[in-house]
Amino acid sequence: MLGYTNIRVFHDGMPAWKKAGKPLFSNAKSLQSNMETETPVVLIDVRDVESAKAAHIKGAVSVPADMLASAKDKFPSNKKAPVIIYGADTEAGMKAFSTVRGWGFKDTTVLMGGIAGWQKAGLPVETGAAASEIVYVPKPKPGALSINDFTLVADHKKGDAVILDVRSDDETDEGTIKGAIAIPAEEVSARLAEIPKDKIIFVHCSTGIRAEMAYLTLKEEGYKAGYLDANIKVAKGGEYTITEKE
Amino acid sequence: MIYRKIAQAALGMAALSFVLVPGTIMAKEAKPKVLKPCLQCHKDNGPNDIRGKLGSVSMKSETIKVETGGAPWLITFDDNTVVNGAEALNKIDDGHEILVAYREEGGAMIADRVDVKPPAQLDPAMLITIDELAPLVEQGPEKGKFTLVDARPGKVYIEGFIPGAISIYDAQFEENLDKLPKNKDDLLVFYCGGPT
Repeated sequence: MLGYTNIRVFHDGMPAWKKAGKPLFSNAKSLQSNMETETPVVLIDVRDVESAKAAHIKGAVSVPADMLASAKDKFPSNKKAPVIIYGADTEAGMKAFSTVRGWGFKDTTVLMGGIAGWQKAGLPVETGAAASEIVYVPKPKPGALSINDFTLVADHKKGDAVILDVRSDDETDEGTIKGAIAIPAEEVSARLAEIPKDKIIFVHCSTGIRAEMAYLTLKEEGYKAGYLDANIKVAKGGEYTITEKE
Repeated sequence: MIYRKIAQAALGMAALSFVLVPGTIMAKEAKPKVLKPCLQCHKDNGPNDIRGKLGSVSMKSETIKVETGGAPWLITFDDNTVVNGAEALNKIDDGHEILVAYREEGGAMIADRVDVKPPAQLDPAMLITIDELAPLVEQGPEKGKFTLVDARPGKVYIEGFIPGAISIYDAQFEENLDKLPKNKDDLLVFYCGGPT
Protein backbone atom coordinates (compact mmCIF):
# COMPACT_ATOMS: atom_id res chain seq x y z
CA MET A 1 0.00 0.00 0.00
CA LEU A 2 1.02 3.57 -0.49
CA GLY A 3 0.47 4.68 3.07
CA TYR A 4 -2.55 6.93 2.60
CA THR A 5 -4.56 6.94 5.80
CA ASN A 6 -7.78 8.62 4.72
CA ILE A 7 -9.07 6.98 1.56
CA ARG A 8 -12.77 7.03 0.76
CA VAL A 9 -14.68 5.75 -2.24
CA PHE A 10 -17.70 7.47 -3.73
CA HIS A 11 -19.07 4.15 -4.83
CA ASP A 12 -22.27 5.35 -6.48
CA GLY A 13 -20.02 7.40 -8.72
CA MET A 14 -20.88 9.44 -11.75
CA PRO A 15 -24.40 8.05 -12.37
CA ALA A 16 -25.55 9.10 -8.88
CA TRP A 17 -23.84 12.48 -9.13
CA LYS A 18 -25.49 13.19 -12.47
CA LYS A 19 -28.89 11.99 -11.33
CA ALA A 20 -28.77 14.35 -8.35
CA GLY A 21 -28.22 17.26 -10.75
CA LYS A 22 -24.88 18.19 -9.20
CA PRO A 23 -22.50 20.37 -11.21
CA LEU A 24 -20.30 18.87 -13.88
CA PHE A 25 -17.35 20.27 -15.76
CA SER A 26 -16.04 19.35 -19.15
CA ASN A 27 -12.75 20.53 -20.51
CA ALA A 28 -11.47 22.07 -23.70
CA LYS A 29 -10.02 18.77 -24.91
CA SER A 30 -13.47 17.24 -24.97
CA LEU A 31 -14.98 20.10 -26.95
CA GLN A 32 -12.06 19.98 -29.37
CA SER A 33 -12.55 16.27 -29.92
CA ASN A 34 -16.29 16.82 -30.48
CA MET A 35 -15.38 19.28 -33.20
CA GLU A 36 -12.91 16.91 -34.84
CA THR A 37 -15.34 14.00 -34.85
CA GLU A 38 -18.29 16.24 -35.76
CA THR A 39 -20.16 15.01 -32.70
CA PRO A 40 -23.19 17.23 -32.29
CA VAL A 41 -23.41 19.19 -29.03
CA VAL A 42 -25.39 22.19 -27.91
CA LEU A 43 -22.77 24.83 -27.15
CA ILE A 44 -24.10 27.87 -25.31
CA ASP A 45 -22.26 31.16 -24.88
CA VAL A 46 -23.86 32.88 -21.88
CA ARG A 47 -21.91 36.13 -22.14
CA ASP A 48 -23.58 39.23 -23.56
CA VAL A 49 -24.17 39.46 -27.30
CA GLU A 50 -21.36 41.95 -27.85
CA SER A 51 -18.74 39.72 -26.19
CA ALA A 52 -19.91 36.79 -28.29
CA LYS A 53 -19.63 38.95 -31.37
CA ALA A 54 -16.05 39.88 -30.53
CA ALA A 55 -14.98 36.26 -30.08
CA HIS A 56 -16.87 32.98 -29.65
CA ILE A 57 -16.11 29.30 -29.97
CA LYS A 58 -17.09 27.80 -33.32
CA GLY A 59 -20.61 26.38 -33.25
CA ALA A 60 -21.66 28.37 -30.18
CA VAL A 61 -25.17 29.76 -29.82
CA SER A 62 -25.41 33.07 -28.03
CA VAL A 63 -27.87 33.00 -25.13
CA PRO A 64 -26.91 35.75 -22.67
CA ALA A 65 -27.28 34.68 -19.03
CA ASP A 66 -30.07 37.15 -18.29
CA MET A 67 -32.08 35.76 -21.23
CA LEU A 68 -31.49 32.12 -20.45
CA ALA A 69 -34.58 31.48 -18.35
CA SER A 70 -36.82 32.67 -21.18
CA ALA A 71 -34.92 30.71 -23.83
CA LYS A 72 -36.12 27.30 -22.69
CA ASP A 73 -38.14 26.74 -25.88
CA LYS A 74 -35.05 27.21 -27.99
CA PHE A 75 -33.50 24.12 -26.47
CA PRO A 76 -33.92 20.72 -28.16
CA SER A 77 -36.84 18.50 -27.18
CA ASN A 78 -34.36 15.63 -26.95
CA LYS A 79 -33.16 15.75 -23.36
CA LYS A 80 -30.25 13.45 -24.17
CA ALA A 81 -28.60 16.28 -26.08
CA PRO A 82 -25.25 17.09 -24.51
CA VAL A 83 -25.19 20.76 -23.52
CA ILE A 84 -21.92 22.59 -22.93
CA ILE A 85 -22.17 26.01 -21.31
CA TYR A 86 -19.40 28.55 -21.29
CA GLY A 87 -19.06 32.03 -19.94
CA ALA A 88 -16.10 34.36 -19.53
CA ASP A 89 -14.71 31.96 -16.92
CA THR A 90 -15.77 28.82 -15.06
CA GLU A 91 -17.82 30.65 -12.47
CA ALA A 92 -19.82 32.61 -15.05
CA GLY A 93 -20.73 29.35 -16.76
CA MET A 94 -21.67 27.70 -13.45
CA LYS A 95 -24.43 30.24 -12.88
CA ALA A 96 -26.28 28.94 -15.92
CA PHE A 97 -25.72 25.28 -15.13
CA SER A 98 -28.57 24.67 -12.72
CA THR A 99 -31.11 26.35 -15.02
CA VAL A 100 -30.29 24.12 -17.97
CA ARG A 101 -29.79 21.01 -15.83
CA GLY A 102 -33.12 21.80 -14.19
CA TRP A 103 -34.81 21.48 -17.59
CA GLY A 104 -33.76 17.85 -17.62
CA PHE A 105 -30.61 17.92 -19.73
CA LYS A 106 -28.65 15.27 -17.85
CA ASP A 107 -25.52 15.73 -19.92
CA THR A 108 -25.07 19.40 -19.20
CA THR A 109 -21.51 20.48 -18.40
CA VAL A 110 -19.73 23.75 -17.83
CA LEU A 111 -16.64 24.31 -19.91
CA MET A 112 -13.87 24.57 -17.36
CA GLY A 113 -11.99 27.85 -17.68
CA GLY A 114 -14.67 29.42 -19.85
CA ILE A 115 -13.67 31.13 -23.06
CA ALA A 116 -10.74 32.72 -21.23
CA GLY A 117 -9.24 29.29 -20.65
CA TRP A 118 -10.02 28.27 -24.21
CA GLN A 119 -8.15 31.26 -25.60
CA LYS A 120 -5.32 30.89 -23.13
CA ALA A 121 -4.79 27.39 -24.48
CA GLY A 122 -4.34 28.97 -27.90
CA LEU A 123 -7.53 27.46 -29.30
CA PRO A 124 -9.27 29.24 -32.18
CA VAL A 125 -12.25 31.58 -31.85
CA GLU A 126 -14.51 33.12 -34.42
CA THR A 127 -15.63 36.71 -34.70
CA GLY A 128 -18.93 38.17 -35.86
CA ALA A 129 -22.41 37.50 -34.52
CA ALA A 130 -22.79 34.02 -33.01
CA ALA A 131 -25.79 31.89 -33.98
CA SER A 132 -28.98 32.64 -32.08
CA GLU A 133 -30.89 29.43 -32.85
CA ILE A 134 -30.02 26.02 -31.46
CA VAL A 135 -29.80 23.25 -34.03
CA TYR A 136 -29.28 19.78 -32.65
CA VAL A 137 -29.39 16.68 -34.80
CA PRO A 138 -28.09 13.60 -32.99
CA LYS A 139 -25.70 11.36 -34.82
CA PRO A 140 -27.53 8.17 -35.76
CA LYS A 141 -26.22 4.86 -34.44
CA PRO A 142 -24.32 2.97 -37.14
CA GLY A 143 -26.87 1.31 -39.37
CA ALA A 144 -29.91 3.02 -37.88
CA LEU A 145 -32.32 4.25 -40.56
CA SER A 146 -34.46 7.31 -40.38
CA ILE A 147 -38.16 6.54 -40.13
CA ASN A 148 -38.66 8.52 -43.31
CA ASP A 149 -36.19 6.42 -45.30
CA PHE A 150 -37.71 3.22 -43.99
CA THR A 151 -41.20 4.37 -44.89
CA LEU A 152 -40.22 5.23 -48.46
CA VAL A 153 -38.98 1.70 -49.02
CA ALA A 154 -41.82 0.03 -47.13
CA ASP A 155 -44.34 1.93 -49.26
CA HIS A 156 -42.50 0.94 -52.45
CA LYS A 157 -41.69 4.51 -53.32
CA LYS A 158 -38.06 3.61 -53.64
CA GLY A 159 -36.92 0.41 -55.29
CA ASP A 160 -33.31 -0.37 -54.45
CA ALA A 161 -33.96 -1.80 -50.99
CA VAL A 162 -36.02 -4.67 -49.62
CA ILE A 163 -37.57 -5.06 -46.21
CA LEU A 164 -36.45 -7.94 -44.01
CA ASP A 165 -38.82 -8.72 -41.14
CA VAL A 166 -36.90 -10.60 -38.42
CA ARG A 167 -39.75 -11.14 -35.96
CA SER A 168 -40.73 -14.66 -34.96
CA ASP A 169 -43.02 -16.78 -37.12
CA ASP A 170 -45.82 -16.27 -34.59
CA GLU A 171 -45.54 -12.53 -35.01
CA THR A 172 -45.18 -12.45 -38.79
CA ASP A 173 -48.20 -14.76 -39.15
CA GLU A 174 -50.22 -11.79 -37.91
CA GLY A 175 -49.15 -9.72 -40.89
CA THR A 176 -46.08 -8.40 -42.67
CA ILE A 177 -45.30 -5.33 -44.73
CA LYS A 178 -46.11 -5.98 -48.39
CA GLY A 179 -43.09 -7.45 -50.17
CA ALA A 180 -41.13 -8.09 -46.98
CA ILE A 181 -38.95 -11.16 -46.57
CA ALA A 182 -39.68 -12.82 -43.22
CA ILE A 183 -36.85 -14.64 -41.46
CA PRO A 184 -36.64 -14.77 -37.65
CA ALA A 185 -33.53 -13.00 -36.34
CA GLU A 186 -31.92 -16.15 -34.98
CA GLU A 187 -32.22 -17.87 -38.37
CA VAL A 188 -30.76 -15.07 -40.50
CA SER A 189 -27.19 -16.41 -40.57
CA ALA A 190 -28.39 -19.85 -41.66
CA ARG A 191 -30.77 -18.53 -44.32
CA LEU A 192 -28.64 -15.95 -46.12
CA ALA A 193 -29.45 -17.60 -49.47
CA GLU A 194 -32.96 -16.13 -49.18
CA ILE A 195 -31.65 -12.59 -48.86
CA PRO A 196 -30.62 -10.87 -52.10
CA LYS A 197 -27.07 -9.60 -52.05
CA ASP A 198 -27.59 -7.01 -54.77
CA LYS A 199 -30.21 -5.10 -52.79
CA ILE A 200 -29.92 -2.90 -49.74
CA ILE A 201 -31.57 -4.69 -46.83
CA PHE A 202 -33.80 -2.68 -44.47
CA VAL A 203 -34.32 -4.75 -41.33
CA HIS A 204 -37.15 -4.32 -38.83
CA CYS A 205 -38.55 -6.25 -35.88
CA SER A 206 -40.88 -4.77 -33.28
CA THR A 207 -38.57 -2.60 -31.17
CA GLY A 208 -35.23 -2.49 -33.01
CA ILE A 209 -33.35 -4.92 -30.78
CA ARG A 210 -33.56 -8.00 -32.98
CA ALA A 211 -33.34 -5.83 -36.10
CA GLU A 212 -30.00 -4.49 -34.93
CA MET A 213 -28.72 -8.00 -34.26
CA ALA A 214 -29.75 -9.14 -37.73
CA TYR A 215 -28.22 -6.00 -39.20
CA LEU A 216 -24.91 -6.84 -37.50
CA THR A 217 -25.02 -10.35 -38.94
CA LEU A 218 -25.75 -9.03 -42.44
CA LYS A 219 -23.00 -6.45 -42.16
CA GLU A 220 -20.46 -9.11 -41.25
CA GLU A 221 -21.61 -11.13 -44.23
CA GLY A 222 -20.90 -8.22 -46.53
CA TYR A 223 -24.45 -7.01 -47.10
CA LYS A 224 -25.44 -3.40 -47.44
CA ALA A 225 -28.03 -3.00 -44.72
CA GLY A 226 -29.68 -0.69 -42.25
CA TYR A 227 -32.23 -1.25 -39.51
CA LEU A 228 -35.23 0.48 -38.05
CA ASP A 229 -34.40 1.58 -34.51
CA ALA A 230 -38.01 2.29 -33.56
CA ASN A 231 -41.20 0.58 -32.43
CA ILE A 232 -43.28 -0.81 -35.25
CA LYS A 233 -46.59 -2.66 -35.31
CA VAL A 234 -47.76 -4.45 -38.43
CA ALA A 235 -51.44 -5.25 -38.94
CA LYS A 236 -52.97 -8.11 -40.87
CA GLY A 237 -53.20 -6.28 -44.19
CA GLY A 238 -49.62 -5.07 -43.98
CA GLU A 239 -50.42 -1.59 -42.72
CA TYR A 240 -47.92 -0.52 -40.15
CA THR A 241 -47.43 2.18 -37.57
CA ILE A 242 -44.03 3.35 -36.42
CA THR A 243 -43.47 5.19 -33.16
CA GLU A 244 -40.16 6.62 -32.14
CA LYS A 245 -38.44 5.12 -29.14
CA GLU A 246 -38.38 7.33 -26.09
CA MET B 1 -15.69 4.69 -39.24
CA ILE B 2 -16.21 5.39 -42.87
CA TYR B 3 -19.73 6.13 -43.98
CA ARG B 4 -20.94 6.22 -47.50
CA LYS B 5 -23.92 7.83 -49.05
CA ILE B 6 -25.98 5.45 -51.10
CA ALA B 7 -27.08 6.70 -54.49
CA GLN B 8 -30.47 8.27 -54.24
CA ALA B 9 -33.44 8.04 -56.56
CA ALA B 10 -36.57 8.86 -54.72
CA LEU B 11 -39.27 9.25 -57.38
CA GLY B 12 -39.73 12.91 -56.70
CA MET B 13 -39.77 12.36 -52.95
CA ALA B 14 -37.63 14.31 -50.56
CA ALA B 15 -33.99 13.35 -50.94
CA LEU B 16 -32.98 10.34 -48.93
CA SER B 17 -30.19 11.01 -46.53
CA PHE B 18 -29.38 7.79 -44.76
CA VAL B 19 -25.81 6.55 -44.64
CA LEU B 20 -24.60 3.01 -44.53
CA VAL B 21 -21.37 1.31 -43.60
CA PRO B 22 -19.96 -0.45 -46.63
CA GLY B 23 -20.25 -4.14 -45.91
CA THR B 24 -17.20 -5.24 -47.83
CA ILE B 25 -14.83 -3.26 -45.62
CA MET B 26 -16.41 -4.35 -42.37
CA ALA B 27 -16.83 -7.99 -43.34
CA LYS B 28 -15.34 -10.63 -41.07
CA GLU B 29 -13.06 -8.30 -39.20
CA ALA B 30 -11.17 -9.75 -36.29
CA LYS B 31 -12.88 -8.82 -33.05
CA PRO B 32 -11.46 -9.11 -29.55
CA LYS B 33 -12.96 -11.74 -27.26
CA VAL B 34 -12.16 -9.78 -24.13
CA LEU B 35 -12.87 -6.11 -23.52
CA LYS B 36 -9.54 -4.42 -22.76
CA PRO B 37 -10.25 -3.05 -19.25
CA CYS B 38 -11.37 -6.55 -18.16
CA LEU B 39 -7.83 -7.81 -18.79
CA GLN B 40 -6.62 -5.92 -15.72
CA CYS B 41 -8.15 -8.52 -13.46
CA HIS B 42 -8.97 -11.40 -15.80
CA LYS B 43 -5.90 -12.61 -17.64
CA ASP B 44 -6.78 -16.29 -17.84
CA ASN B 45 -9.60 -16.37 -20.34
CA GLY B 46 -10.40 -19.64 -22.06
CA PRO B 47 -10.56 -19.91 -25.84
CA ASN B 48 -14.34 -20.08 -25.63
CA ASP B 49 -14.81 -17.19 -23.24
CA ILE B 50 -16.23 -13.85 -24.28
CA ARG B 51 -15.83 -11.16 -21.65
CA GLY B 52 -17.40 -7.78 -22.24
CA LYS B 53 -20.39 -5.54 -21.74
CA LEU B 54 -23.92 -6.73 -22.33
CA GLY B 55 -25.29 -4.74 -25.26
CA SER B 56 -28.82 -5.99 -25.66
CA VAL B 57 -30.94 -9.07 -25.01
CA SER B 58 -33.70 -10.47 -27.17
CA MET B 59 -35.78 -13.04 -25.34
CA LYS B 60 -37.78 -13.64 -28.52
CA SER B 61 -34.84 -14.61 -30.68
CA GLU B 62 -32.87 -15.93 -27.66
CA THR B 63 -29.82 -13.92 -28.54
CA ILE B 64 -27.57 -11.55 -26.61
CA LYS B 65 -25.28 -8.91 -28.00
CA VAL B 66 -21.95 -8.50 -26.21
CA GLU B 67 -19.58 -5.57 -26.77
CA THR B 68 -15.85 -6.24 -26.54
CA GLY B 69 -14.50 -3.19 -28.33
CA GLY B 70 -14.86 -4.25 -31.98
CA ALA B 71 -17.88 -5.46 -33.88
CA PRO B 72 -20.32 -6.87 -31.29
CA TRP B 73 -20.73 -10.63 -30.69
CA LEU B 74 -24.11 -12.24 -31.15
CA ILE B 75 -24.53 -15.33 -28.99
CA THR B 76 -27.66 -17.39 -28.75
CA PHE B 77 -28.93 -18.98 -25.56
CA ASP B 78 -31.50 -21.59 -24.62
CA ASP B 79 -33.13 -23.21 -21.61
CA ASN B 80 -29.88 -24.99 -20.78
CA THR B 81 -27.86 -21.79 -20.52
CA VAL B 82 -26.77 -21.32 -16.92
CA VAL B 83 -27.02 -17.74 -15.64
CA ASN B 84 -25.00 -16.89 -12.53
CA GLY B 85 -25.54 -13.66 -10.67
CA ALA B 86 -28.88 -12.63 -12.18
CA GLU B 87 -32.41 -13.96 -12.15
CA ALA B 88 -32.54 -14.00 -15.95
CA LEU B 89 -30.64 -12.55 -18.87
CA ASN B 90 -33.19 -9.77 -19.38
CA LYS B 91 -32.75 -8.75 -15.74
CA ILE B 92 -29.14 -7.68 -16.28
CA ASP B 93 -28.53 -3.97 -16.78
CA ASP B 94 -27.39 -2.91 -20.23
CA GLY B 95 -23.68 -2.27 -20.20
CA HIS B 96 -23.00 -4.60 -17.28
CA GLU B 97 -19.87 -6.72 -17.50
CA ILE B 98 -20.49 -10.38 -18.19
CA LEU B 99 -18.56 -13.52 -19.03
CA VAL B 100 -20.05 -15.85 -21.62
CA ALA B 101 -18.72 -19.38 -21.96
CA TYR B 102 -19.91 -20.63 -25.31
CA ARG B 103 -19.75 -23.59 -27.62
CA GLU B 104 -19.94 -23.59 -31.38
CA GLU B 105 -22.52 -25.61 -33.19
CA GLY B 106 -22.93 -25.47 -36.94
CA GLY B 107 -21.28 -22.06 -37.14
CA ALA B 108 -23.49 -20.56 -34.41
CA MET B 109 -22.29 -19.52 -30.97
CA ILE B 110 -24.38 -20.87 -28.11
CA ALA B 111 -23.96 -19.74 -24.51
CA ASP B 112 -23.38 -22.55 -22.01
CA ARG B 113 -22.97 -20.17 -19.11
CA VAL B 114 -23.30 -16.45 -18.46
CA ASP B 115 -21.67 -15.00 -15.32
CA VAL B 116 -22.68 -11.54 -14.23
CA LYS B 117 -19.90 -9.59 -12.56
CA PRO B 118 -20.78 -9.17 -8.88
CA PRO B 119 -20.61 -5.68 -7.38
CA ALA B 120 -17.29 -4.90 -5.72
CA GLN B 121 -17.34 -5.52 -1.98
CA LEU B 122 -16.06 -2.53 -0.07
CA ASP B 123 -15.61 -1.90 3.61
CA PRO B 124 -18.59 0.35 4.50
CA ALA B 125 -16.24 2.54 6.53
CA MET B 126 -14.49 3.46 3.29
CA LEU B 127 -17.57 4.74 1.53
CA ILE B 128 -18.47 8.39 1.15
CA THR B 129 -22.02 9.43 0.30
CA ILE B 130 -23.09 12.08 -2.15
CA ASP B 131 -24.32 14.21 0.77
CA GLU B 132 -20.84 14.14 2.32
CA LEU B 133 -19.06 14.70 -0.97
CA ALA B 134 -21.18 17.53 -2.42
CA PRO B 135 -20.30 20.16 0.24
CA LEU B 136 -16.62 19.26 -0.09
CA VAL B 137 -16.78 19.73 -3.85
CA GLU B 138 -18.42 23.07 -3.33
CA GLN B 139 -15.50 24.18 -1.15
CA GLY B 140 -13.00 22.92 -3.67
CA PRO B 141 -10.00 20.63 -3.13
CA GLU B 142 -7.75 23.35 -1.77
CA LYS B 143 -10.05 24.76 0.88
CA GLY B 144 -11.56 21.38 1.68
CA LYS B 145 -8.06 19.81 1.83
CA PHE B 146 -8.89 16.78 -0.25
CA THR B 147 -7.98 15.18 -3.56
CA LEU B 148 -10.74 13.82 -5.76
CA VAL B 149 -9.70 11.22 -8.32
CA ASP B 150 -11.82 10.23 -11.33
CA ALA B 151 -10.74 6.65 -12.03
CA ARG B 152 -12.55 6.33 -15.37
CA PRO B 153 -10.68 6.43 -18.69
CA GLY B 154 -9.40 9.89 -19.62
CA LYS B 155 -11.66 10.03 -22.66
CA VAL B 156 -14.73 9.70 -20.44
CA TYR B 157 -13.36 12.08 -17.81
CA ILE B 158 -12.98 15.05 -20.16
CA GLU B 159 -16.62 14.79 -21.26
CA GLY B 160 -17.94 15.44 -17.78
CA PHE B 161 -16.31 15.25 -14.36
CA ILE B 162 -17.03 16.33 -10.82
CA PRO B 163 -15.62 19.85 -10.32
CA GLY B 164 -12.13 19.71 -8.89
CA ALA B 165 -11.53 16.07 -9.82
CA ILE B 166 -8.25 15.00 -11.36
CA SER B 167 -8.07 12.16 -13.86
CA ILE B 168 -6.16 9.00 -13.06
CA TYR B 169 -7.46 6.08 -15.05
CA ASP B 170 -7.55 3.01 -12.90
CA ALA B 171 -5.61 0.99 -15.50
CA GLN B 172 -2.75 3.51 -15.46
CA PHE B 173 -2.74 4.12 -11.74
CA GLU B 174 0.85 3.04 -11.03
CA GLU B 175 2.28 5.45 -13.60
CA ASN B 176 0.45 8.41 -12.08
CA LEU B 177 1.29 8.21 -8.40
CA ASP B 178 2.89 11.66 -8.59
CA LYS B 179 -0.58 13.18 -9.02
CA LEU B 180 -1.63 12.00 -5.55
CA PRO B 181 -1.37 14.37 -2.60
CA LYS B 182 1.99 14.62 -0.82
CA ASN B 183 0.41 14.54 2.60
CA LYS B 184 -0.69 10.96 3.14
CA ASP B 185 -3.15 11.93 5.87
CA ASP B 186 -5.18 14.19 3.58
CA LEU B 187 -8.53 12.95 2.40
CA LEU B 188 -8.31 11.06 -0.87
CA VAL B 189 -11.58 10.26 -2.62
CA PHE B 190 -12.03 8.00 -5.65
CA TYR B 191 -15.01 7.66 -7.92
CA CYS B 192 -15.79 5.92 -11.17
CA GLY B 193 -18.77 5.06 -13.36
CA GLY B 194 -20.80 3.57 -10.53
CA PRO B 195 -20.92 0.14 -8.90
CA THR B 196 -20.14 -2.60 -11.41
